[in-house]
Amino acid sequence: MARTPHAPVAASGDVAPAGLDLAVTAPRQRVLRRLVRRPAGIVGSVLTGMFVLVGLFGPALAPYDPFAVVGPSLAPPSWPHPMGTDALGRDLFSGIVAGARTSLLVAGLVGLMVLAIGLVVGTLSSWWGGWVDDSLMRLTELFQVLPRFFLAVVVIAYFGPGLSLLIVMLGLTSWTLLARVVRAEVLSIKEREFVEAARVAGASSTRLVLREVLPNALPAMSAFLGLVLAQVLLIEASLGFIGLGDPNLVSWGYLASQAQRFLRVAWWMSVFPGLAIAVAVLGFNLLSDAVTDVLGSSR
Amino acid sequence: MTFGYVGWRLLQVVPTAAAILLIGFLLIHLAPGDPVVALAGQNGDAEYYAFIRDKFGLDEPLPEQLATYASRVVQADLGTSYLQGRPVATIIAERIPATLLLSVTALVLSSVAGVALGSLAASRPHGLVDVASTGATLAVYAAPVFWLGQLAILGLAAGLGWFPVQGMTSPRSDATGLAAALDVAHHLALPALVLASQEIAAVFRLTRVGLLDELGSDHVRTARAKGLSARRVLVKHALRRPLVPVVTVIGGRAGHLLSGAIVTEIVFGWPGLGRLLLSSLQTRDTPVVLGIFLVVAFFVILANVGTDLTYRWLDPRVRYR
Amino acid sequence: MKLRSLVVMLSLALLTVSCGGDSEPETDATGSTEDTGNVEAGEPVRGGTLVAAIDSDPGQLNPAITTSGGVHAASELMYNGLVELSPSLEPLPELAESWEIEDDGATYRFTLRDGVTWHDGEPFTSADVKYSFEEVLLQLHSRTKASVGAALESIETPDDQTVVFRFSQPYAPLLQQLNVTEAPIVPEHIYAGTDPQENPANQAPVGTGPFQFVSYQPGQEIVLEANDDYFKPERPYLDGVVLRIIPEEANQVIALEEGEVDWIFGVPGPDLPRLEESGDIDFLQTSVNPGGANCIMTVSFNLERPIFQSPEVREAIAYALDRSQFLERVEFGQGAVAEAPIHSGIPFAHAEGLDIPDADPGRAASILEEAGWLREGDGTRVAQGVEGVADGTPLSFNFLSFPTFAQYGELFRSQLAEVGIDVSLETLEPAVFADTVFVKRAFDTNVISYCNGTDPAIGVRRMYISSNIGPIPFSNSSAYRNEEIDQLFDEAIATVDPEDRSPIYQEISEILVKDLPYLWLVETVSTRAYQADCQGFQESGHFAETAFCDR
Repeated sequence: MARTPHAPVAASGDVAPAGLDLAVTAPRQRVLRRLVRRPAGIVGSVLTGMFVLVGLFGPALAPYDPFAVVGPSLAPPSWPHPMGTDALGRDLFSGIVAGARTSLLVAGLVGLMVLAIGLVVGTLSSWWGGWVDDSLMRLTELFQVLPRFFLAVVVIAYFGPGLSLLIVMLGLTSWTLLARVVRAEVLSIKEREFVEAARVAGASSTRLVLREVLPNALPAMSAFLGLVLAQVLLIEASLGFIGLGDPNLVSWGYLASQAQRFLRVAWWMSVFPGLAIAVAVLGFNLLSDAVTDVLGSSR
Repeated sequence: MTFGYVGWRLLQVVPTAAAILLIGFLLIHLAPGDPVVALAGQNGDAEYYAFIRDKFGLDEPLPEQLATYASRVVQADLGTSYLQGRPVATIIAERIPATLLLSVTALVLSSVAGVALGSLAASRPHGLVDVASTGATLAVYAAPVFWLGQLAILGLAAGLGWFPVQGMTSPRSDATGLAAALDVAHHLALPALVLASQEIAAVFRLTRVGLLDELGSDHVRTARAKGLSARRVLVKHALRRPLVPVVTVIGGRAGHLLSGAIVTEIVFGWPGLGRLLLSSLQTRDTPVVLGIFLVVAFFVILANVGTDLTYRWLDPRVRYR
Repeated sequence: MKLRSLVVMLSLALLTVSCGGDSEPETDATGSTEDTGNVEAGEPVRGGTLVAAIDSDPGQLNPAITTSGGVHAASELMYNGLVELSPSLEPLPELAESWEIEDDGATYRFTLRDGVTWHDGEPFTSADVKYSFEEVLLQLHSRTKASVGAALESIETPDDQTVVFRFSQPYAPLLQQLNVTEAPIVPEHIYAGTDPQENPANQAPVGTGPFQFVSYQPGQEIVLEANDDYFKPERPYLDGVVLRIIPEEANQVIALEEGEVDWIFGVPGPDLPRLEESGDIDFLQTSVNPGGANCIMTVSFNLERPIFQSPEVREAIAYALDRSQFLERVEFGQGAVAEAPIHSGIPFAHAEGLDIPDADPGRAASILEEAGWLREGDGTRVAQGVEGVADGTPLSFNFLSFPTFAQYGELFRSQLAEVGIDVSLETLEPAVFADTVFVKRAFDTNVISYCNGTDPAIGVRRMYISSNIGPIPFSNSSAYRNEEIDQLFDEAIATVDPEDRSPIYQEISEILVKDLPYLWLVETVSTRAYQADCQGFQESGHFAETAFCDR
């Protein structure tokens, strides 16, 4: 979290200025309530929820070890293998379920990295301004023009496939949008009355940022985080498709790349992994769309 | 907008480009693996490796290699391909037209369709058109581009036979002039549509959101408060600057478009930079890989600067940052 | 087949030339299909263009400076070797009309064909051969440099029609290393005095081959036209060949079915039944590839690692693996389970009656138990009193492969998991793979497609001799060290008559199966497929030399 270089202006009391809690919590509740009233919000929440649940409890759902040879080669969907089998005779449904966990892991960790970097960079540059703002924004621009997918392809091809490398690569290059959003939000919130009031009441910078400003910036961040994560899932899948996925973890992109050789003999190998990716990405997109919508109309 | 600003903005490109060169060079040269081994194939011997290393200056310390490389890049010399023995700049230049043709076609297709659809949707938010087109574009946007490509090949090329499966020209045709152009267009149609279908969603979203923002802005609110209909507000006030969102898309999504193009090229056997990148990665032809990375990064930087400048020109209220 | 006398060679030569290649010996070594060798369906028809798919953009078109399969597939039609090889690997005259072997195999005297011209009209002479070897092949063609180059003393050209190769001691495999794949001859008048790797002719080659260069569009296609002055009379039948670059296997198959191409070099196994049913497509199965012939997918055990030092673990792994499943599910039945360390495509060196441990997981488990690798439940085995291994060490190791062979790793992992062995996979591009395996030696097991080539001296010896331990890519990956084996290989290379070499290779094979430094999985073949109205294809790089299309 952002550390302030300034000494605390005053001892931080537990008593918040009157009216502040209301100002912070009221919009958040409204956002959630409005979210589930919109079709996009409902569908998005359901899809994302499904993705997360399957990712968390996948092993309990999967009938087989996704790496074990358990059936005939290239069997079409049937009762024992609802999504068919691959060339080696491995159960594709178990693979899709296991892939959800890998995708969730990538999305979750990249999401955390992106949030952390975005928050730090965005808050630092907006709160302090001046040369800090200048240099951080220059850095943001650099990362923004960095062709992320190209870089990921080149680095993973050169260093060898691995999930941790992929996560670090995507985390380090995907935060620019969030940093800008945070910066803009903080800049606008900074001047609002309740923050001014808190500042006058003697709250420290750190406390102000953590307690008052960030919670207000969070809805906007979550909207954009959804977009970023959707892109991250697609990049991960595309890397897998090019053959740069981690061979020791089942991922949807890896499954899709296996399908390429069997396009005309085993449609199921292409259709189900593709659908899984599309559903998860759609979930994130719809959710973030709905949040944007709600935020837009609540202002 | 003054020339001073243009010059200053262009000057900013230099440190960015230098940083990207540094990042690319270091990442690639610090990676494990010996480029020389790829050249030898099976049965190479130590003497052969020494010969190749010496030839490409691979025995020099890294900082020296970097300095040599950087000073060459400034003179538009991207080095020599390990594999082909030809200048990297030439090899890349051969592939740029194909990638450009694909990307620009997809960009034009998606811009026209996206802006049209986006305006339509924004004119009546949450109406039937809005919901339908939002849903459709979101669905396409969520699908991985390689998957769309696979489905398109199976359905439209191999299945219905409307389009060629892959490539840029017909191998048996010796057509010239218009016929040759039509042949290329026929091959271009499917990959361009697949790539564009993803970008439509992006343009659509940005146009729609941009217009909705515009509709929510003070002067439009004022107009609404005066009792003007939503449609009139849209046409009179918001659509005044319809180019703005499109321009933003072109600049902001240049990188995305090019990465989509790589994958599309691979699926459709389109002979552009993406295919060159992939084959060079497989053979560890590092000068070519680094060259492509730099060229792409430079395109993206220029597209961003171009966007900034155009944006400023279109909408003089926008101050830099 | 006894001595390679001048007479035998000449008569063979006449036979082939006069009969258009259809009477080549039917001793197809792989015994793989009905459709091997040259397919002749009626009278050759002149004219027409053949469109062939190749899987990578070659970048340049000089096969003498590289062993890259992509370059060779794209360029061999434009060049010749001194000899060509029949499907059973007999040397047949090509640029050399005849040859004599002197000094028990230490001297080879070649008489070159008269009246051969380069595509630009210049005459072909012995100077071209000498230049090609000394300045190009022995410098830049890594395979030829490592084999011929290491043994060769000098090349002499007494006159324009004669080339003499002198070796310090008898060198048996030379004739198998002079075809267009191993030793393409390039024109001295174009390359002399330049850097062969950067000569512009690499983009627009001048050769002696059946087809000559027209144009090359990088990433798209290479266009060739018939060489009207080709030295083999009547050939080629086609007016031209277009080599179309289609990197995805699946797309190549679709393009063949759609009629966009006439010939593809490999059909993925699962597509084979559908293509066979269509009736419009014919097939040619071969173990010859531009990258090398007679390849065996081979697992290496890093013998420098403590867990592989005891032969029990290697033997147990062999029993745990069902090699027929690799053939059926990875190669889709294209090929054969390897029955000996040396490929069956080299009949005189392929040992008979060996018993490689295979497909007995129960036996694998009991061997491991006895060796001290104990298992609880379904878990990974753990060392308990294994020599050189700390107690409690899990029986887990990594397995490296090229991305193209990833499926081997997948099945390897799955089958070994059954007996409590934990395998993690790493797929590495060839360059990184070679560096990791042969230079850094940072691996436990790997799979390599070891191509035995046309003679064991080319592609077998390198895997086993102890002097090849170290940073030589695709050599002795397991770091196998056995003095007896070293001596036997040396003996074999200096023995010229194949009949005398057979027992040596039999003995070598028996020792190798006992020691199991490697595990030989599958002899792979690839299936060429082509439109049925085209016929007359060959297995070699000159696949279209005798082809014709009746349409």
